[in-house]
Amino acid sequence: MDEAAIEELELSDAESFEEVQLTAAQVIEMMEEAWVNEKFAPEILPHKMEVVDCLLGQIAYMEENLQSLPSTDFKKSIHQLEVDRLRFLVSSYLRTRLEKIETYVTHILKQEQQRHESKEDLYLSKQELKFAKEIAEALKQNFDGLVSFYPGLPLEEWVSQPVQPNMHSFVFLKSKKDVNEVVIDDGSIATEGESDLVDFREGAQILIAYSSVAGLLKKGDVKLI
Amino acid sequence: MYGEKAYALVKECANHENSLPPYNASLVQEVSNEIRTLVEENQEDAQTSTEETSDSGSVVSTIRLRHAAVKRNLRCLMAYHYNRLRLLRKMRWEFGSILPADIKSNLSPAEIEWFAKYSRSLASYMRSVGDDGLNLAVDLKPPKSLYIEVKCTVDYGRYELNDGTVLLLKKDSRHYLPRSECEELVRQGVFEHIL
Repeated sequence: MDEAAIEELELSDAESFEEVQLTAAQVIEMMEEAWVNEKFAPEILPHKMEVVDCLLGQIAYMEENLQSLPSTDFKKSIHQLEVDRLRFLVSSYLRTRLEKIETYVTHILKQEQQRHESKEDLYLSKQELKFAKEIAEALKQNFDGLVSFYPGLPLEEWVSQPVQPNMHSFVFLKSKKDVNEVVIDDGSIATEGESDLVDFREGAQILIAYSSVAGLLKKGDVKLI
Repeated sequence: MYGEKAYALVKECANHENSLPPYNASLVQEVSNEIRTLVEENQEDAQTSTEETSDSGSVVSTIRLRHAAVKRNLRCLMAYHYNRLRLLRKMRWEFGSILPADIKSNLSPAEIEWFAKYSRSLASYMRSVGDDGLNLAVDLKPPKSLYIEVKCTVDYGRYELNDGTVLLLKKDSRHYLPRSECEELVRQGVFEHIL
């Protein structure tokens, strides 16, 4: 998160064309990683809105530059395609998040509430939170209308047992650095020292249950592939 | 038997996985009636059993059975409606905020209201992304090439491109257009993508 903020600063401060180019490439790389992570993780991940905003700025800047090129220029179509690809990257990322928010709306809102109470960073961006609340409200109204024919019928079930992401689904991941003694969560309640451990070496590719590596993924020590 | 109508309702969902059948108001009404009758019968029995405590043991099992049926019916009702909303959501992404008339006629008033709300939330979310908004309903597939060849399937009339050129779209005419400009028309079925 901090890295992104710094980069944003660098981008706005950057004077020479070379520097912008370099940081732009890094931003795209970060965006790609966030996109792939989001695509393969079963639950919603902390938002990367700084990267999104930064990349959107880049896209706008590139499009502005493209406008000045004559439409007969061969370079224009190549750059245009590049811009389109970047835009797909951003919108696919945001769409994936929206889809997760909609599917697990009750579950996610409950978790966000807990995070808010314990003063942790929220996983949803401000706009996403607003969207989540709105669709939760609309869904509730729809269900309430359903049982309005007989007041007092219990409908709490869908609130108390919301759809939850399967945290034990398996993911492929690549370790970005050496991580020692990752506890393998096999679903059983193992006491200290009894559970199986595994060491990740840098660059290693591993297939493992998501719940074992959720923390590492959020810290950025590993990435999904 | 209890719960049979509710089962039929869920079955209807399963039979139409990708299309939205007309809202089955009469069946929903019947299931609702069944729930109401069951709850009322239960309340009656509960009333009498408190009066004659001697043979309450026989009533308890009846009440339990009815309660289970009520719960099951409710769950089926919810599943039916929730599945329809999911389908409706998919259509919001396919057709945009304005539904084709033939789909709209299949919806219940509550569903139309939900759709309007969902559309509004989604639109305001898309506007709030970045500095001046981002339309998430385009770029649904990763772009492979900048231009695609399309065939027009209906007489659409005049269509203006972003750069100001005006095209006349006639049935069976072929065009070579920027992908970003005709993606929406392809999804609406005006264009057919020629591979």
